[in-house]
Amino acid sequence: MRLLPLLTAFTSLLSLTVAQKAANKYQTFADLASSSKGAKGVVLLNDQLFGDLTGPHRNFTSVVLFTALDNRFGCVLCRDFQPEFDVLGNSWHKEHPKSDGLFFGVLDFSVGKQTFQRLGMSTAPILMLFPSSTPGSGSEHHPLKFDFNPSNLTPAEAVARWITASSKHKVTVHRPFNYVKLFTFIGGIIGTATLSKLAYPYLAPALYSRNLWAAVSLVAVLLFTSGHMFNHIRKVPYVVQGRGGGVSYIAGGFSNQLGLETQIIAVVYAVLAFSAIALCVKMPRMESSGKQKIAVMAWNLVLLVLFSFLMSIFKMKNGAYPFFLPPLIA
Amino acid sequence: MSTVKSVLFKDPASTESARSILRVLILLTIAAAAVASRLFSVIRFESIIHEFDPWFNFRASKYLVKHGFFDFWNWFDDRTWYPLGRVTGGTLYPGLMVTSGAIWHALRMISLPVDIRNICVLLAPGFSGLTAFATYLFTKEMKDSGAGLLAAAFMGIAPGYISRSVAGSYDNEAIAIFLLMFTFYLWIKAAKLGSAMWGGLCALFYFYMVSAWGGYVFITNLIPLHVFVLILMGRYSGRIYVAYSSWYALGTLASMQVPFVGFLPVKTSEHMAALGIFGLIQLVAFVDYLRGQVPSKQFNTLLRALVILITVVGFTGLVTLTVTGVIAPWSGRFYSLWDTGYAKIHIPIIASVSEHQPTAWPSFFFDLNMLIWLFPAGVYLSFRQLRDEHVFIIVYSVMASYFAGVMVRLMLTLTPIVCVAAAITVSSIFDTYLEIDSPEEQEEDSESKKSKKEKAKEAGGFLSSKAPFVGIYSITSKVAVVGAFSVYLVLFVLHCTWVTSNAYSSPSVVLASRMPDGSQHIIDDFREAYYWLRKNTPYDAKVMSWWDYGYQIGGMADRTTLVDNNTWNNTHIATVGKAMASREEVSYDILRKHEVDYVLVIFGGLLGYSGDDINKFLWMVRIAEGVWPQEVQERKFFTSRGEYKVDHEATDTMKNSLMYKMSYYKFPSLFPPGQAQDRVRGARLPSEGPVLHTLDEAFTSENWIVRIYKVKDLDQFGRDHFAVSAFEGGKKKKGKKGGMAGRAAGKRGRRVVRI
Repeated sequence: MRLLPLLTAFTSLLSLTVAQKAANKYQTFADLASSSKGAKGVVLLNDQLFGDLTGPHRNFTSVVLFTALDNRFGCVLCRDFQPEFDVLGNSWHKEHPKSDGLFFGVLDFSVGKQTFQRLGMSTAPILMLFPSSTPGSGSEHHPLKFDFNPSNLTPAEAVARWITASSKHKVTVHRPFNYVKLFTFIGGIIGTATLSKLAYPYLAPALYSRNLWAAVSLVAVLLFTSGHMFNHIRKVPYVVQGRGGGVSYIAGGFSNQLGLETQIIAVVYAVLAFSAIALCVKMPRMESSGKQKIAVMAWNLVLLVLFSFLMSIFKMKNGAYPFFLPPLIA
Repeated sequence: MSTVKSVLFKDPASTESARSILRVLILLTIAAAAVASRLFSVIRFESIIHEFDPWFNFRASKYLVKHGFFDFWNWFDDRTWYPLGRVTGGTLYPGLMVTSGAIWHALRMISLPVDIRNICVLLAPGFSGLTAFATYLFTKEMKDSGAGLLAAAFMGIAPGYISRSVAGSYDNEAIAIFLLMFTFYLWIKAAKLGSAMWGGLCALFYFYMVSAWGGYVFITNLIPLHVFVLILMGRYSGRIYVAYSSWYALGTLASMQVPFVGFLPVKTSEHMAALGIFGLIQLVAFVDYLRGQVPSKQFNTLLRALVILITVVGFTGLVTLTVTGVIAPWSGRFYSLWDTGYAKIHIPIIASVSEHQPTAWPSFFFDLNMLIWLFPAGVYLSFRQLRDEHVFIIVYSVMASYFAGVMVRLMLTLTPIVCVAAAITVSSIFDTYLEIDSPEEQEEDSESKKSKKEKAKEAGGFLSSKAPFVGIYSITSKVAVVGAFSVYLVLFVLHCTWVTSNAYSSPSVVLASRMPDGSQHIIDDFREAYYWLRKNTPYDAKVMSWWDYGYQIGGMADRTTLVDNNTWNNTHIATVGKAMASREEVSYDILRKHEVDYVLVIFGGLLGYSGDDINKFLWMVRIAEGVWPQEVQERKFFTSRGEYKVDHEATDTMKNSLMYKMSYYKFPSLFPPGQAQDRVRGARLPSEGPVLHTLDEAFTSENWIVRIYKVKDLDQFGRDHFAVSAFEGGKKKKGKKGGMAGRAAGKRGRRVVRI
């Protein structure tokens, strides 16, 4: 019977020390976050600090980025993502100078090899969220992993949304105003204005040159009609490895294409168009009848062969297409 | 030779009347060909409305004919977007319905009571004949009537335009392309003549276009761009001023009369270019006038400074107004044309539509065949002449090629100019090579030749050949070139017919397949299911389906839908997406709250129909996730290896989603155990099919393409449905046990077969 109060006292003492410890730890990280060597609001971790930041008995949530910034590892994504992560930590720190229960940390492979090994991580970057271990924090206590999109850069906003969704903290991103950009922009405008004023006498003939504009328009039309925008939007590869080890430069399938393929098509279109122009504009202006005859036949033949080539490529793309034009029959 | 010529070809002046009769005949033939080539689907199937959007237009036309124009104008449709309803009269482009309504009335007036459905089905082919005529007029202004006829023929059969105008494709584009070309023709005419009358006519047809299709913005921006380029080229003239001012003032006022457009022309960025150019041209006209009056040089400098100042102030004003939000920024749909990654991130509902995808080169060639390479040549020829109207061709070409490259459906706006430019090229070639007279070769002394060569060099450059036009000497050359091009033209006609017949003539409401013996087999599941709904459900039943089928349910089944193809309310669509993507407990709540009676899904697994809901499912998830990121998460539908699976590897979220359950409910029972096969995704399904607690299967069509489920009513004892099914399952079990126990005691050895 007498044991019970003793036990209660002991437990409360224990919990007090734990709480005290947690509070200490919290203070340490809050200090670290505001006096960080890296970006403000982001704690640069090592193995021991990582243990504290993610260990048991925490009354705070921590978001840790495992990265490998050293050039030796050649991790492009790590280097690209680092500024975004710094912006994130910075925004949080600016809004919450006392951190308010959310820490951002970075553990680089060069200082945290053991942790990487312990967690069995072989890739970088990895972003993890360790929820607070106090009860009632809303989420389970398992650390959560963020899915990076490998093909393009993940913006800080996406990560902020993820953190907001998976913890009780509402993170908003404030990007610092980019003065450099502003001044470059103003400088650029002034520079361009001055330059164009100075160069106007020399540029004017080019600016009013019909040839230049014709060339620009034709190139634009050819690019767009040969599917350049598709390449741009879908980011298709230039060529792919074909079957049997060779390089294949025509994509199979009707609604698919490769970079080189569109360039071939653009060139074919250009030559075809030029043959048509030559036939109707240049030929009747030739004075020698013999030369004219040869030239007409030559252009006619170029046109036929290339059109036939185009049809055969198209038939390759669309197997059910029934038409062809001699001499090339695919 | 000369005698033959004199017999065959008289003096051009004396044959003018014969020529014009011929032209009319040729145009009529072209129109007939244009109409005829669009009738494949009517002949193969029947006179039926195609696809999705046309079903709404058809329903609206029926309403217009039945209730009259003013009721149509004020139509509030409470049978769509349940429970919100839609202010239909104020949110549609009425041009199409009014056109067919007018035709219906006109035919009745001459005692030809044609069913409105047939008018709707045949409206697009009919207007394609008119489009060919408008293209003729337009091209005639560019070159001559020969080129015009060729352009009309190209336009009549080019698949790029046929794709949106076959019989039954009763959509806004059916009349819009005619209006587009005719408005452009009137604009060219107005700009050429500087006549306010033509400008006013142009405005009138612009108004018609605005009332018919959202693509009118293309005109709203192209005409100002043309004027702007002309001003930059120093080609400002009184004619341009009169034409543009009359078009803009009248056209804008007229377009604001369409309720759906309203004040947009003065409030959104899409229309600001036209307004800005209107201001600019006033300024330029003013300066032009003053310059004529006061020739002092200092004054000119002052004037120029003033103009620049006003332009800068005006431009800054526009930008400020946009930034502060007085002028609405570019709407998402238009903005995504410039920033091509925008829609994918911010408006998944736009990105989810297949016709909003970028265009690969085979599509260009498929839709335009040889016109696509004649097109740059035509642009080049326009640069050679470069009168004001040729500038229009060039501006149009560049802009339209860009848009067509970004979005497949905008191939439609590119097609007319491709036809025009290609016709100019072909007609120039024929002009040169069909001339019967051959020039005499002139002997020249070397000196004059040299000087000529030098001259030619001086003129040199890309658009050179200022050398005098001589002609083609040899008959062989002429025959070779004309022969080759004739072959190409025949090939073009074959191509167009083949494409139309194979790719663009399927109504998509009815599917056609080939039997092993080559005969045609018609799969009519959609209409079967819609008809079932119409006949077996109460008139006010609410049917939930993915938005793709909303218009068809409204049109064919005549039942209330939750969402449809109008997609104006993203949240409501996301609600349906959430209901489909969630567990039954969550979904049932949503269904009850929206008073849904039936749920309809499209399932292609049995037949191999790939456009089914499971394939569209990820878009539902994505759109729902956009609104409820906490509750619906796309990655939970992917396996740990990032694959989208429906077989035993499918994630739990996937297997428990309402869509999955509805699609595969009882599906494995069609096959021997363990053999269930989804033919679309090539997946073997688990032998245990999903179990539904809150829905009852109401109808499944012949080939299982359409499946309709009835939402269970609340339980009579107030239990939830899971408890009910658990209880019933348990009772049966108990009953079985009890029965066994009861009988087994007496008759040992006999097995009880439970039916």
